[in-house]
Amino acid sequence: MKGKVVSVLLATAMVMSLTACGGQSGDSNTTAPATGDSSSGSSNSETTPSTTTAQDGETTAPGGATTIEVWSEDRHDLEYVEAMIDKYNESNEDGIFINLTVITEDYQNMIKLAMDGGTAPDVVGANSLPLNTFADNGLLIPLNSYIDADETFQKVNEPYEHAYEGSNAKNGNIYAVYSGMRSGVRVEYNIDLLKQCGYEQIPTKLEDYIAMAKDVTEQGGGEFYGIGFTSSSPFERLLEMSAQVSGIFYYDYVNGKYDFSGYKDILEAGQRFISEEIAYPDQQGVDNMRALFAQGQFALWSNASQEAGVFTNQIPVEGFEWGVATVPSLTGEIKGALQTTPSKSYGILSTSQKQDLAWKVIQYFQSEEFLKGYLEGGYSLPISSYMDGVIDKSKTGRLADFSLLDYESVYPTPPAVNLTGDDYRTVLWNAIMGYVDIDEAIEDLNTRYNDALDADVAAGSIKRLVIKDYDPLHPSQGTATYLEQ
Amino acid sequence: MKFFAGPEYSLKYEEQGVRCVSAKNAVNKKKTKFTRDSVVVGLMLAPAVIFLCVCSIYPFIWIFRYICYDYNGFTANYTGMRNFTRMLGDKTFWNSVGHTFEYAGYKLIFIIPLALVVAVLLNNRMKGTSIFRGVYFMPTIISTSISGMIFTFIFATQNGVLNAMLTKLHLIDSPVKWLTSQGVVMAAVTIMAIWGGFGNYMLYFINGMNGISEDVYESAKIDGANGFQTFFKITLPMLSPVLKVILMLAITGAFKDYEAILVLTKGGPGNRSMVMFLYIYNLIFGSSSASSQPQIGYGALLSVVAAIIVGIVTVIYMRISRKLDDVV
Repeated sequence: MKGKVVSVLLATAMVMSLTACGGQSGDSNTTAPATGDSSSGSSNSETTPSTTTAQDGETTAPGGATTIEVWSEDRHDLEYVEAMIDKYNESNEDGIFINLTVITEDYQNMIKLAMDGGTAPDVVGANSLPLNTFADNGLLIPLNSYIDADETFQKVNEPYEHAYEGSNAKNGNIYAVYSGMRSGVRVEYNIDLLKQCGYEQIPTKLEDYIAMAKDVTEQGGGEFYGIGFTSSSPFERLLEMSAQVSGIFYYDYVNGKYDFSGYKDILEAGQRFISEEIAYPDQQGVDNMRALFAQGQFALWSNASQEAGVFTNQIPVEGFEWGVATVPSLTGEIKGALQTTPSKSYGILSTSQKQDLAWKVIQYFQSEEFLKGYLEGGYSLPISSYMDGVIDKSKTGRLADFSLLDYESVYPTPPAVNLTGDDYRTVLWNAIMGYVDIDEAIEDLNTRYNDALDADVAAGSIKRLVIKDYDPLHPSQGTATYLEQ
Repeated sequence: MKFFAGPEYSLKYEEQGVRCVSAKNAVNKKKTKFTRDSVVVGLMLAPAVIFLCVCSIYPFIWIFRYICYDYNGFTANYTGMRNFTRMLGDKTFWNSVGHTFEYAGYKLIFIIPLALVVAVLLNNRMKGTSIFRGVYFMPTIISTSISGMIFTFIFATQNGVLNAMLTKLHLIDSPVKWLTSQGVVMAAVTIMAIWGGFGNYMLYFINGMNGISEDVYESAKIDGANGFQTFFKITLPMLSPVLKVILMLAITGAFKDYEAILVLTKGGPGNRSMVMFLYIYNLIFGSSSASSQPQIGYGALLSVVAAIIVGIVTVIYMRISRKLDDVV
């Protein structure tokens, strides 16, 4: 008898826990009251800073207005976005009240949890949402019909010109439209220090770039160095981009497989930074290394357009002039596109019961009125040529130095595999540091990545991406096909 | 146990002046009472049982459920034994297991004796011992991520405090690359682990020593024992029960450490300080590349394997430590 009681209790508890943790399916709605707390729908609100748009904490929608819940992970532009949402809510021409919640931690899982729990927002910032999960599983809806019906939106945002396979579009469906971008990696350099060492320009050839860095380090005699690298994804911040503009990429789009063989020359050149003790001796976190650059500890740093704001406001460079240059390539010639990072896009969740109104909110967020102030405020670079022509670039400060290059583009997203062991950036940097042999590193990556790709394709969890007419200078313009083998 | 007792118990109660009933009635009544009581007991136990199930048993089942899946947080694909075969050939994981043993070994070799010696010194009745106890204990309550950041500055090659001190003392000629050299990074990680943990064990030892009777020390003193003899013949043997627990906590703690290493070295350079729980963390949360995805299923399998490894080490230690019990 006792055993039965215990069994019943355990079974009840199990059922309750499973029910509590299980997801609601079907008709979940997003009619959460328009209060600051209700919008998050999160279980870990302590670790997810959130905000709402109403003034002085007053977050209630006016009578008759429909609340559209918006989640975003962008905090840097909050002041501007909040002000614009307040303006919209005050005019309330569409009968919509926008309630914004900013979630900076575990954003993707929070959305999934909210969808399962029936507390998902209507609109989500979609900059970092991977389509292989959010689109393939039907969490985001295609926006094509909305886009096609709105010529003004098309004019301002050029959605079809900036539909990037695997990033915001898949198989002809557009799930989010970008209205901003972060530039590809640039070289930021200490003009005064280089002048002192006899250099006026940044070489376009990697070999010359390394030679210059070496000379600066030697002239520095331990007081200053030619170049600095961070411990946070260092390969991505210079040498991977040098490889890209040299026409080297880790995924062979034509044959639909991973191929790291092309990196050998880049790795051999990059090893010199370490073996010849050219680089600053430490590789610390990004902000630490930025601070060291700002103090004049080394002459060459490389990162994307976020450095415009960092070196102007966050860690201001004082005491010397700094310039911006393009990353060097192997031969000095540009043979491939430089990866940019599109941003400021929004998607509509499939659980939303107010999708038409949600689209109106997206229309507002990506209207000329909204974007002009946003882009002139220096929060992002414009991605559309229309907005590029509309904004007053004199207002964007140093961000203008990071303007889009004619060989910048977005690479189609290679299949995301279940990889065993370290990812390619870690392994290739280990080769630069001399921890592993270059040939062994390349062979190891080719084996592990392709084994994982083959296994995942065979299991049906991913498809093989093939672009037969792939052009490394225009990677986004090919015709993508997805193979099941 | 009395719930299941037979008629003989009723006869016993009768002898003790308890109301007399026939054996048969007593059994029936007890059965009825058992049912009512069981409801009450069940209700009282329910919150604890539910919490146990939800917070302990369900996560375990959840982990075991996914070890045969590729699960990225959104979709789960059954892959049979693939995760097992991947694990067997995963050099990074098995290297991280080796690094975990190495790290735990270094940490335990230094942290336990140091904590014991400091505890003995601070257990003397001297002025200011409570201040020292507080100072030594303080790192324990500092966030490991913060201490990791602080030690990043301390261990910096170019402008680091440690290198500056060692240079001033003429102990080194050129700066040591504490965090970027595969040869010394384990030393750096161990130093930080000792700094962050020894105060905790020191307090355990002090508490253990407080439990040793003063009479024993007085007797030893009368017998003419010096400080070393007192320590090795009295303090250490009588601390053995506490030492056994402290060692077990230290072993399991050392094998599970990864937060501070994550902040200090991210497992580098070249995976030299990659411990198994950090590798598992990276698999599930730390992928920065667009070409790979979170691997919760594979990470779940590795966490089970890691738990088995820690369990085996603990069992081996428990067997060895039985000898400590024989001392007292």
